[in-house]
Amino acid sequence: MTIKASSVPQQVIPLAIIFAAGITGLLVIRHFLVPDTFGEHGHYRADAVDEIAALPVSYAGYQACVDCHDDIFTAKQSSFHKGLSCETCHGPAGQHVEDQDKFKPAKPHGREFCILCHGYNVSRPSGFPQILPNMHNPGKACVGCHDPHKPTTPRPPGDCSACHAGIANQKAVSHHTDLQCNTCHEVPKDHITQPRLSRAEKPTSRDICGKCHGKDATGGIEEAPRIDMASHGGRYMCWDCHYPHDPEATK
Amino acid sequence: MDLHAVTQAAAEMPHVTGYMYPNEAELHWSILIVIYPYLTGLVAGAFILASLERVFNVRVLQPVYRLSLLTALSFLLIAPLPLLAHLGKPERSYEMFLTPHSESAMAMFGFVYAWYLMVVLLLEIWFDYRRNFIEWSKTKKAALTRLMYKVLSLGTTDVSEKALKFDDKVGRIITIIGIPSAFLLHGYVGFIFGSVKANPWWSSVLMPIVFLFSAIVSGIAMVLLIYMVTSMFRVKEISMPCLNRLAELLFYALIVDFSLELLDFIQRLYESEESIHILSDMISSRLFISLIVTQIMLGTLLPIFSIAMARFGRFPDEMKRVTYLFAALLVQLGIFSTRWNVVIGGQLFSKSLRGLTTYKLDVFGLEGILVSGVLLITPFIILAVLSRILPPWMESGHRAST
Repeated sequence: MTIKASSVPQQVIPLAIIFAAGITGLLVIRHFLVPDTFGEHGHYRADAVDEIAALPVSYAGYQACVDCHDDIFTAKQSSFHKGLSCETCHGPAGQHVEDQDKFKPAKPHGREFCILCHGYNVSRPSGFPQILPNMHNPGKACVGCHDPHKPTTPRPPGDCSACHAGIANQKAVSHHTDLQCNTCHEVPKDHITQPRLSRAEKPTSRDICGKCHGKDATGGIEEAPRIDMASHGGRYMCWDCHYPHDPEATK
Repeated sequence: MDLHAVTQAAAEMPHVTGYMYPNEAELHWSILIVIYPYLTGLVAGAFILASLERVFNVRVLQPVYRLSLLTALSFLLIAPLPLLAHLGKPERSYEMFLTPHSESAMAMFGFVYAWYLMVVLLLEIWFDYRRNFIEWSKTKKAALTRLMYKVLSLGTTDVSEKALKFDDKVGRIITIIGIPSAFLLHGYVGFIFGSVKANPWWSSVLMPIVFLFSAIVSGIAMVLLIYMVTSMFRVKEISMPCLNRLAELLFYALIVDFSLELLDFIQRLYESEESIHILSDMISSRLFISLIVTQIMLGTLLPIFSIAMARFGRFPDEMKRVTYLFAALLVQLGIFSTRWNVVIGGQLFSKSLRGLTTYKLDVFGLEGILVSGVLLITPFIILAVLSRILPPWMESGHRAST
């Protein structure tokens, strides 16, 4: 079948040329500008992986530090900072390993560095040591009191809220505000100085709640909701449904 | 740490109430991302208005047909700028055309945009003006102007009845393709927000539909505004049948849009998912002015009532015009608030559903109010220039007037 030239409207021709030129132009540009290895592994340039792998390595790894500084490493491994690598605080030490005299790794002396992890932030886990930089010995260097290779608090915290602020805040505005922590938790004496080695116990039996909330309980205040411990909740523990630090149920 | 210390810590972030995750306290999407759906909405709305005249033969809208197309084009040219300004590195933006990523809705925007600009708007405008280009390339006084129209006519000379009929037919086909394309362009923006499943303020299948109808509302109101203001400056009489029909369409679109948003709201209330408490808190505190006052009361209910009274009541024409102008201005305020409430509102509450933050608008800087003002004014400047080159006025020789 042949198409007569006159049967194609005149206005279609320049448009067809423009669109054809545009599409061809895009394909040509694509041919020259899209890197050859694009899309080999995914939606990126595969060569980039090799290029990044070929970059000089700045970090030496903790093993290289241990070879010379084993005394510090041993002290650190028995402390709360055992999970931190040396270069987390001292920076990349690749050059130091190459030439110990020419390049010395950094020693963070100021307050700003420690605050990156130990500044107060509500999203940090309860019990993680946190300070308010403006209120905690302002102006003094952290290393003046704390040894970063074996960090312990110079004096034990006064009460539970020092470390468990989130829970303390919640409890403070709840029905359980007047309860002491050790009413429900068994807290060994050493927990204050060595919180991870000597853990506070969580209740394991329903009886502890029953002391105040049982039908015939004698403990607790008069307004405390009372239930029949034998029939209420079946085989579930109380805290499967009620959050003890902010219990929702009222009498 | 005692309670006093915790209160002190909260005082260090006074713009946050309750609990926010650390990466939520500052907003990532600023006013530029508010402007983007506002502009694309105007494009889609203005185009859909033009298509009513073209495809559905609403002849009374002829005076604003070309104006709608040029309005759509002016806003479309600026629509990607807020995105480029927000993302940075605009010189690399062409790369998304070279290596299309079909699994990313955001990366496909370039193609949605290019399709709408090149295949729909420019083609439709060209076919509609072609006869005029040829005519002006012969009749205009200045040689340079004649040359410009010659270039714009792309060298075509055929103005026979058969050729004009062909123009009209192709224009109509493009409009028919254009309607789903306009739906795609703005529905796409709603789709982007609606598909963020982690965000209960955005994640809704109704989102593209609500976006689309609010787009139609804003487009009609904008064309109505531009038509009235330009007629005033040109000292030309406004076609009252056209204006009345525009107001009617705006009224119906407002009702559908408001009903859809209400439906979405009632559905959320009835579902009462765990997020409902924080969302209610947000609406009654952070979004009270922009949602309850400007979006619903000033931007929706007041225009609905005032248009209903002016259009269906016994108002003199002068009073009608004032009311329509007032309503269309309020609608613009309302739709801008709608975009604000979606984009900013979706980032004001914590994903923990336990706290709210505050958005502080900068004055200077790339994401500030000055840049935003420039981005919102530029389409009008483009429209002013375009209407000089391509006069959209009815008396300048519309195809239907031949």
